Amino acid sequence: MAAFLEVSNLHAAYGPTRVLHGIGFAMEEGTITALLGANGAGKTTTLRALCGMVKTQGQVSFAGERLDGKATEDVVRKGIAHVPDGRGTFVNLSTEENLRLGAYTRKDSDAVEVDLERVYGYFPRLKERREQQAGTLSGGEQQMLAVSRALMLRPRLMLLDEPSFGLAPLIVWELFEILRAVNEKEKVSMLVVEQNAAMALELADHAYVIETGRVVLSGTADEIRKNDAVRRSYLGY
Amino acid sequence: MDAFLHQVLAGLATGGIYASLALALVMIYQATHLVNFAQGEMAMFATYFAWSLINAGVPYWPAFLLTVVFAFVLGVVIERVIIRPVENSPVLAVVVVFIALLVILNSVAGWIYSYTIKSFPSPFPAEPIFGKYMSAHEGGAIGVTLVVLLLLYAFFRFTPLGLALRAAAQNPESARLVGIRVGWMLALGWGLAAAVGGVAGMMVAPIVYLDPNMMGGVLLYAFAAALVGGIDNPAGAVFGGFLVGVLENVLGAFVIGNELKLAVALVLIIGVLVVKPSGFFGKVFVTRV
Repeated sequence: MAAFLEVSNLHAAYGPTRVLHGIGFAMEEGTITALLGANGAGKTTTLRALCGMVKTQGQVSFAGERLDGKATEDVVRKGIAHVPDGRGTFVNLSTEENLRLGAYTRKDSDAVEVDLERVYGYFPRLKERREQQAGTLSGGEQQMLAVSRALMLRPRLMLLDEPSFGLAPLIVWELFEILRAVNEKEKVSMLVVEQNAAMALELADHAYVIETGRVVLSGTADEIRKNDAVRRSYLGY
Repeated sequence: MDAFLHQVLAGLATGGIYASLALALVMIYQATHLVNFAQGEMAMFATYFAWSLINAGVPYWPAFLLTVVFAFVLGVVIERVIIRPVENSPVLAVVVVFIALLVILNSVAGWIYSYTIKSFPSPFPAEPIFGKYMSAHEGGAIGVTLVVLLLLYAFFRFTPLGLALRAAAQNPESARLVGIRVGWMLALGWGLAAAVGGVAGMMVAPIVYLDPNMMGGVLLYAFAAALVGGIDNPAGAVFGGFLVGVLENVLGAFVIGNELKLAVALVLIIGVLVVKPSGFFGKVFVTRV
């Protein structure tokens, strides 16, 4: 049986600058997989490539269907929600409008209302600020909003780009707890890109280490954590 | 005093028309950050379409509705066929396309309908209302403008499609990530802007008469209105439209004379750009270097 998400020999470039050099990995449904690596390793580009946001060569298959060459709008319709680098907040719209946009492709409007309350349950702060212009939310709140907006799709797979970036340690813990709960309760698979390797390995079942656009190491989160090279380069002890 | 009140009310009527066209400019500006110089000619073309229908015996209001639909389709087709290929080109290239569109629509209208001035019917009775202060057409034009503005507001504020349009204009990348087909939203925006412009054309034609150059001045006033209100602010553009309409009429009648009316618009444009480039209600953009 083919894996839930399978990426093979994926190349991507921004103009003449090649970023991915035949990257390949796979993940099973219901798991959390982390992509680790230093700045410029190609983590963000990998997520963007999955969503058709950069030109790619190579294969991406998701739940038995090819994703490569598909437009971003169509990838979303397969049930893939991307929490982008920089959060992608619609800054002039209200918090609630941002959330409703997350469910834009859904036709089951009754269930959307239920889901809206559900994400407010995860993040009560967003409910307090539902009428507030989203651009005026704090960084942490905007990150919660980005995750919530992705959840409003009722995704099968969530792509999370540096969810911990710029957040206070306490808020990172809170956010990761919720991500774990969503994964366990709602069976949402997650592909997480992180510079904070320790946090990511805490959350993930599997991990891949990327260097200059290639996978250099893969294994379960435990194996990766115990790897000497990883410990020295990414965990810092 | 009577004459003054009369000028103010007449100003509100033409101001409503400027407000509509200004709103059309703002809608396209918000999505593309460009001013569509052909907006007026698109409206003119739609008005000729209405004229043809009415001349062929179609009653006014059905012709009005058909024209709105025609203008909408015209806007969508222009975006898909002409604007789309230059979407990512440098600003100047797109401006040249807009100007070409202006010239082409103008010439085609002249070619089909000739440059002779035609009268265009008003759906409203000929006698004045409010005593003697206002013609029924002026009152009706204000009414039609307000209905259009209200419908647009409700559409953008309360419908999922309106929300998607706003999202696509504001942040195309995030819009794609929630599944919005941004390309079609742009086309829809052009269609809506053209439809609003078409209504403005039909409302102004009984006042300025129908000819291929009829929207030249109107577009300038609308541009001034949009700038006064802040080119990125729909409500500001509407306010600006009414303000420019009243100023134009009052100053034209009592201060500078009718010959210099158009100069009011130009002075406003330059004045706003010098004193407060973001307009009265616009956002000030700060770019981090």
